[in-house]
Amino acid sequence: MKRTLMNSPRYLAVAAIVLLGLAILPVPAAQALTCSVTPDNIPITFTYHGAQLSITGQSASTDDLVVTITSEPADTALKYKEKVGGLVWMKKGSLEFKDAPRVYLLHSTADLDRILGPADRNQYLLGYDALRGHIRIEDSAGNPADGKWFDEYLKFKKEENVYNVQEGTVVRTHGEAGNTYKVDVAWPYQAPPGIYTVEVLAARDGNVVDRASTHFEVKSTGMVAALSKMAFDQAGLYGIMAVVIALLAGLAVGAIFKKGGGSH
Amino acid sequence: MYMYLPIALTSVNYLVVMGLGLGVGLLSGLFGVGGGFLMTPLLMMIGIPPTIAAATDANQIVAASASGTISHWRLGNVDFKMGLYLLIGGFAGGAAGVQVIKILRASGGADFLIKMTYVVMLGLVGSFMFVESLNAMHKNKKAPAATAPTAAPKQKKGGFFAALPMQTYFEKSGVTHSALVPLFLGTFVGVLAAIMGVGGGFLMVPVMIYMLRMPMHVVVGTSLFQILFTCIEVTYLQAYSNHTVDFMLALLLLIGSVFGAQIGTVLGRKLHGDQLKILLSIIVLAVTVKIILELVLEPSILLSYAGGH
Repeated sequence: MKRTLMNSPRYLAVAAIVLLGLAILPVPAAQALTCSVTPDNIPITFTYHGAQLSITGQSASTDDLVVTITSEPADTALKYKEKVGGLVWMKKGSLEFKDAPRVYLLHSTADLDRILGPADRNQYLLGYDALRGHIRIEDSAGNPADGKWFDEYLKFKKEENVYNVQEGTVVRTHGEAGNTYKVDVAWPYQAPPGIYTVEVLAARDGNVVDRASTHFEVKSTGMVAALSKMAFDQAGLYGIMAVVIALLAGLAVGAIFKKGGGSH
Repeated sequence: MYMYLPIALTSVNYLVVMGLGLGVGLLSGLFGVGGGFLMTPLLMMIGIPPTIAAATDANQIVAASASGTISHWRLGNVDFKMGLYLLIGGFAGGAAGVQVIKILRASGGADFLIKMTYVVMLGLVGSFMFVESLNAMHKNKKAPAATAPTAAPKQKKGGFFAALPMQTYFEKSGVTHSALVPLFLGTFVGVLAAIMGVGGGFLMVPVMIYMLRMPMHVVVGTSLFQILFTCIEVTYLQAYSNHTVDFMLALLLLIGSVFGAQIGTVLGRKLHGDQLKILLSIIVLAVTVKIILELVLEPSILLSYAGGH
């Protein structure tokens, strides 16, 4: 009895060490997920034509990864066309797309439906099917609209380059620096200025097991910022400036041509 | 090659934009139309939101029509008096049109009616001009000496127009009308332009040729003079109340269009009135066909931002 009592703490200690070992053992594989984006600040100047983003971080070696870049969800109203009188296509009215991100870019290590189950894809809004279930479409009377309008919405957004899903583009490397991943993203110039969220999710056995996120900002600077500020804050002056400069340009070129035209 | 536009919030190839300006400016110097009907959809094609495309185009037309007006004025082709009456009518018509549109919209299904009316009108005007100027060209070929008495048949219209009060002689155009006629016609085009959301040059020019009986070259200069003031008003109002004028985009466009307007004016001097008319009628008919196709063919994308035509 005494011996067993004496033995039991030792036994417990061994058991604890074994358990601890079991817990610690996968750690080299289950590195904490990190995420960083360069540049984290994109200035918009007159020569701005989009940017090249590089998203990198560390992850567990065996996990699949999904990287999303999105803006805050917002409500967007768009005009829609329908056939009128069985003959002509006309703008009929407007549809409200509720809770829809203005920008939605997704990159992953492999096909989404292979690495994540439908429940997690829907919960974390991964892929167009998840968005379909999430974005509510209403007509001006507040009635839910036909599902075909989501397809049209996707077409519209893809045309603008602000919705894009690319599977298999996130590259993982396993080296001395640990297990790292990297994806290069062509940032579309059509995306409006604002703060954007980059989120990376680690997937294992069809479930999301870890998340990390960061932000970057797209912001007008210099003359671009000054002009757009003036257009809104001093709209009257801006309008007069636009008219006067156009008038002067027209009259000046007219005057130059007078000289040229008179000589021949 | 690329320039970012602070209000449109998109980036464009500036050579393409200047080229568009040059082409549309040429049309405006040649025919006295603003060209918004062509420019707005072209700008939308390169990714400019519709409301910004329409408002910025008005800003650009200020430059093109100023450039065209000054060179036509030097050639003695601007009837300021007629332009002023049309302008007053146009302003009144524009204001009335905005009210009409509210009533029509409230009754529903009006867009369809408006568009069809416009297409039919453009089609009729274009066809009539085409046939008429073709006939005139034939006549001129057969009897080149008989160009002087062209004014004679114009007097036949007499009747109702001649019975109106306030008869005035318009020196530059060489016609006598009641001041009420250009006022009324200006209002009529103004109402239509406001409803369609366009400047109305495609209607105003034929109205001046056939209803006011003005000589083609004076029509072009006077129309440009009139458009200049309409577009100053539109630019200011759009900038002030809707913040939809992209000044940088307008600047790129007008660099092209002020030169285009000069080239158009020079080109116009080398063409006869009938040749100008027939070219314009072809453009009007092409625009008609384009609108019909747009209406009948299924668009590739059924959604769009608000605004535009």
